Amino acid sequence: MATSTESVDLVGDEAATNLARAALFAALVGAFAYVTFPNPVSPVRVTLQVLGVFLAGVYLGPVWGGASLVLYLAAGAVGAPVFEGGSAGVGQLVGQSAGYLWSYPLAAAAVGAVVHRGATLRDLDTVGLPTLVGSMVLGTAIIYALGVAGLALVLSLGPVEAVTVGAAAFVPAEALKIAAAVGIVRSDAVAAA
Amino acid sequence: MTLSYVPGDSLAHRLDPRSKLLVQAGFAAAAYAYTTPRGLAALTLLAVACLRLAGGGPRDLWTYRAAFPVLLVAPLVAGATLGPPWFRVERAATTGLASYRVLLILVVAAGYVRSTPVRESRAAIQRAVPGKPGQFLGTGVALVFRFLPLLKRDLLTAREAVRARGGGALPVRERVRLVAVAGINRAFGRADRLGTALNARCFAWNPTLPRLALGPADYPALAVGGGLALAAVATLA
Repeated sequence: MATSTESVDLVGDEAATNLARAALFAALVGAFAYVTFPNPVSPVRVTLQVLGVFLAGVYLGPVWGGASLVLYLAAGAVGAPVFEGGSAGVGQLVGQSAGYLWSYPLAAAAVGAVVHRGATLRDLDTVGLPTLVGSMVLGTAIIYALGVAGLALVLSLGPVEAVTVGAAAFVPAEALKIAAAVGIVRSDAVAAA
Repeated sequence: MTLSYVPGDSLAHRLDPRSKLLVQAGFAAAAYAYTTPRGLAALTLLAVACLRLAGGGPRDLWTYRAAFPVLLVAPLVAGATLGPPWFRVERAATTGLASYRVLLILVVAAGYVRSTPVRESRAAIQRAVPGKPGQFLGTGVALVFRFLPLLKRDLLTAREAVRARGGGALPVRERVRLVAVAGINRAFGRADRLGTALNARCFAWNPTLPRLALGPADYPALAVGGGLALAAVATLA
């Protein structure tokens, strides 16, 4: 074991709890990859990872929400089975799903920034429905814009082809996730927010 | 079957995680720079060798099954056109090669995942990223590994409970909400207890890490990774 003689630099109460929450939310987004639901409008089953991205922004705010998704990417890169279908590895971050994955931290930060109007968290009861829905529509737009661009670059596809492969079958399900996310935030069922 | 670390004594297991990360980065760069039939044929041999040296085999690739439909469909979509000649073979071939290079990159990544334990990856991250950001990434990654199985079980239990109470008749939106709320509440509960426990144990920015040292076997690996990266850069120049 490497030894170190410098004095101990404590993390502190607030940062330690935030770090724990960011890490747990990253693990939750990974766990969402294993829970699929039937899609009412398409044969492709829905996984809830994007819902996790939205909720990270809503509950952790732009800074820690984005940081949480960075942890998700780092953990997946070094082998935690958190990506689509329980896969892992650096390959996913430079492969066909690269655009989607790299967009997650940005989308979570954007959702958080719109909902909380800045870096400090505000009471979710004071957030209006249009703000909530608008933030998640923005998040969806970021995820699919980067996802489709990544697909076009990685697989040498044209824009229309990339949308056909990477967005057409999936976008309708995002409305479902936004509706579910609004239900979650509005129901006050989450105790530790 | 999920791809994960398998304890072993293969050559890849004995390498330093940093050299394995460099090999992956170099391989990805080379695969993007040499997306030609000949280039990819050579890289195929290298990719298979990487996975074999980690004691892996074709079964490890099953974990990427979610990616296969996209990789298979993309060349067909790229080749299809509205109007004659309806299908352009050369467009499909270009995208087919691009799909195949992604598959090769995934094969090499599988070798890393199979042969590298979490604590070594964590140490590699903290040595590569200096200061508090590195500590944050290292600690966070270790916690994600630790809590993923628990949260996964929480979610599956919640879904089972919803189903047992006749939740199958509810709209999908409602089922998603119930399962997600249970998952978030459990995650926050665990996070807050963990935060308290970390503070109680003097959680510090400068903990003691396992020792990482480059051994004799690492130099060839570093040479391969660096060589691939240089070869990729050479095509840009």
